[in-house]
Amino acid sequence: MSQEENMAVKADQQADVASSGPLLEVKDLKVDFTSDGRDVHAVRDASFSVYPGQWVAIVGESGSGKSTCAMSVLGLLPGTGRVVDGSIRLQGRELVGLGRKEYEDLRGSHMGLVPQDPMSNLNPVWRIGSQVKEALVANKMDVSREKRSRLAQELASSEDIKLRSSDDELFISSADLPGLLKAARQVLDEAGVPNPDKVMETFKGEWDVGSETRWGVARSLIRAGVGEDRAWGIAKAHVTGSDMNDRIAGLLSEAGLPDAATRARQYPHEFSGGMRQRALIAIGLASRPDLLIADEPTSALDVTVQKKILDHLKGLTDSLGTAVLFITHDLGLAAERAQHIVVMYKGQVVESGPSLEVLQHPQHPYTKRLVQAAPSLASQRIISAKQRGQDAERLMEHHVKGESTLERSEHVITVEHLTKEFKLPRKRELFKAVDDVSFSVKRGTTLAIVGESGSGKSTVANMVLHLLTPTSGTVTYENQDISGFKGHELMEFRRHVQPVFQNPYGSLDPMYSIYRSIEEPLRIHRIGDRKSREQRVRELLDMVEMPESVMGRYPNELSGGQRQRIAIARAMALNPDVIICDEAVSALDVLVQDQVLRLLNDLQAERGLSYLFITHDLAVVRQIADEVVVMQQGRLVEHATTDEVFDHPQRQYTRDLLDAIPGGKLRLGLD
Amino acid sequence: MGKYLLRRILQMIPVVLGTTLLIYALVFALPGDPVAAMFGDKPVNQAVAAQIRSEYNLDKPFIVQYVLFLKNALTLNFGNTFAGQPVVSVIGRAFPVTVKLALMAFVFEGVFGVIFGIIGGLTKGKWSDNVILVLSLLLISVPTFVTGFILQYLFGVKWHVLPATAGANPGFMDLLMPAVVLGSVSMASIIRLTRTEITSNISEDYVRTARAKGMSNRQVILRHVLRNSLIPVVTYLGADIGGLMGGAMITERIFNIQGVGNTLFQAILRGEGTLVVSIVTILVMIFVICSLVVDMLYAVLDPRIRYA
Repeated sequence: MSQEENMAVKADQQADVASSGPLLEVKDLKVDFTSDGRDVHAVRDASFSVYPGQWVAIVGESGSGKSTCAMSVLGLLPGTGRVVDGSIRLQGRELVGLGRKEYEDLRGSHMGLVPQDPMSNLNPVWRIGSQVKEALVANKMDVSREKRSRLAQELASSEDIKLRSSDDELFISSADLPGLLKAARQVLDEAGVPNPDKVMETFKGEWDVGSETRWGVARSLIRAGVGEDRAWGIAKAHVTGSDMNDRIAGLLSEAGLPDAATRARQYPHEFSGGMRQRALIAIGLASRPDLLIADEPTSALDVTVQKKILDHLKGLTDSLGTAVLFITHDLGLAAERAQHIVVMYKGQVVESGPSLEVLQHPQHPYTKRLVQAAPSLASQRIISAKQRGQDAERLMEHHVKGESTLERSEHVITVEHLTKEFKLPRKRELFKAVDDVSFSVKRGTTLAIVGESGSGKSTVANMVLHLLTPTSGTVTYENQDISGFKGHELMEFRRHVQPVFQNPYGSLDPMYSIYRSIEEPLRIHRIGDRKSREQRVRELLDMVEMPESVMGRYPNELSGGQRQRIAIARAMALNPDVIICDEAVSALDVLVQDQVLRLLNDLQAERGLSYLFITHDLAVVRQIADEVVVMQQGRLVEHATTDEVFDHPQRQYTRDLLDAIPGGKLRLGLD
Repeated sequence: MGKYLLRRILQMIPVVLGTTLLIYALVFALPGDPVAAMFGDKPVNQAVAAQIRSEYNLDKPFIVQYVLFLKNALTLNFGNTFAGQPVVSVIGRAFPVTVKLALMAFVFEGVFGVIFGIIGGLTKGKWSDNVILVLSLLLISVPTFVTGFILQYLFGVKWHVLPATAGANPGFMDLLMPAVVLGSVSMASIIRLTRTEITSNISEDYVRTARAKGMSNRQVILRHVLRNSLIPVVTYLGADIGGLMGGAMITERIFNIQGVGNTLFQAILRGEGTLVVSIVTILVMIFVICSLVVDMLYAVLDPRIRYA
């Protein structure tokens, strides 16, 4: 063996070792932030690895350091954050201590990011297309052909097609497409393929400009029954490589945006949240990184959209051989998507292992709590404290109250043929946000309205609250039509029907102390004097299990869950009969969500409250609701008890919503 | 867009009517008799005074005077000054000088304001940022006439670097120092505005996304930080043109520039309602047109803004 050959063998062996080792290896990572001159340890001794092509999920509540871990890999720690110790190795190369320029070379082409909030992560003043283009230009990507990881190349080659040269990875251009389709049609006829029109339809669906490659076209043709040489001939003649605009459109359509060429010319504000997230996925994958860091990529989106986008991302990263570091607070979602789970708690990795293993045999107490609290995994209605037999005295009180309520009607709130139309700008016809919806809330029970965003459920809530006037139909409270309420009657109505809104950050006045926020409804309704009101606020705080010491504090000093408790205390101040919760727990972490739901449930059992619960999350519905109303595009499509809806959904739409619950099909090792 | 433009132009009519009426009323309410003042130390000849009064419509009630002024103004006949010159020719002499001065001040404050603002914003917390902040605070808090007199004394009187006063038909060098003085306060505001915008934009999520794409620091700053930060700065600059034209009064007095400010000042002293109102009307029009242009510019710069 000559020396040259010897060297080559050695290099090969080295390459093999590198490819079998982890793509990303984080060891004993320590990250500090400086706050008021003090060091805060955000991440302490975190270690985990990601192998090529693997999905690894980091799970933890907000503040657990999971995003900080991800950002230190990218070298994009915010503010005063810095890595103080440990090592981060990407493909064997140490990243800690790299200079700005070296990091710029790695970002985009070796590691990409799909950020958390699609609303704030696209620059509002640039077109979507030009923001995708930036990623391609910054990494000097060849826009005419696909760059595939070695793993993906091997996968692709092991199918019925052998990749011969890099020219086989050329993309279809928009100029190529008409000629290609014409030639394909002709060859289908020549080969006598049955049903050529239908085959052409699938071709049109698959052959996206700037995304489908020459070998992909050849493969489609061969699979349709065209001879191999003929298929390659057509592919070579008509697939000649795309230009920048074609490639941008191709990336966007890969990410699941229909009509991508037009979409690329639009601005972010013309996109919905889901569409923006797709654009961000296109950007994150534009330069074909080996590692994609997805930081809560779908937390801001509806469950159904979330499922579609994650399914798409999974398919895309699998075909490209991209490894994904998936940051989420949802254990169910993590278990469903990732092969490996890393659980973080207070800056430390407390548990890590294969997904099912972690889920079914959680070791650390925190993981156990997380598994128990995950709404997507639990499948029982919460049992109230009363039913647990803890509060016999209050139970008696409730009985007395229960007898008096019997004299009144069974239904607290009845909604009949409710319709609401809105005028859209520059459109003649009215938009029906709510279309002939009827239901009623039984005293002391919970009715949930579920549906995607835009299904009209919040509009219904606003009409029940007398904040919007219905176009037609009636809302009755205690057998009285609320549309006639004015002055004193309206005040009385407001006293008995109270809202809790979605965003605990926005629904409390930041300039009001907690005491003032809770006391305000009492003051407005002129109930009691200063002393008795203070007493009442203390009671309320006690009821929502908050210490009295928070009275003098302000909303920005409290966490999201604590704020939502304050909002509930405020709603309870006037002793209402009905509470309308508009996505009241959607913005909260699972553990906090669980606590708030339990609180609401206990309050219902103690005080005979009725809830109208608006949510897009069916997992939450299962925990709290007695009856479910499903809304789609303003219409009521299904109305049944919770068990019926979950066990025997009647409509396809309801089944889709149920399927979208992350981890819904996973089995747990808990009793 | 066309409809919006038309609506905005129609809105100018009540604005111009309202401001002229207000100014006319203010001049009318000034104490002292302008005709009596024309006689100076000499005794007032009642017959001549009455003739002058009727010639300038001063003997008629206030509202009639105003309506007559409007009627003439529609045919671009602004009448004569007390000294007998046509108002149009007085304005024609004064405006070009002020426009020149205002444009020089505008360029000065725009260029230096943005440059120092960018330096401050990008080096937040460092010594350069602190120096710029202190300087801008100083310029904002010291009144124009103080800066004006100090520069005039130092550069014009003591060191003879620049002409101390401008006089008639001033050239570029004559107006350089006045333009710097006139633009200094706005420049300080632009420095602060640019700096604040940059420091807040640089921590935006889309800037992080841009970095995650692998873009170079330079590109990120240019395309994502500066582009977004300069939108409010451009609108501020646009709105400031009108302010520069009207605010030149003090600067023109200090440097003896025969521009709009100076002429307006003299006219107010003499109680010449017609001249005052004519000048103010033009200034109001400039203000209104500038704000319209700024609003249009805003729509061009920020795609989220659309007028219908």
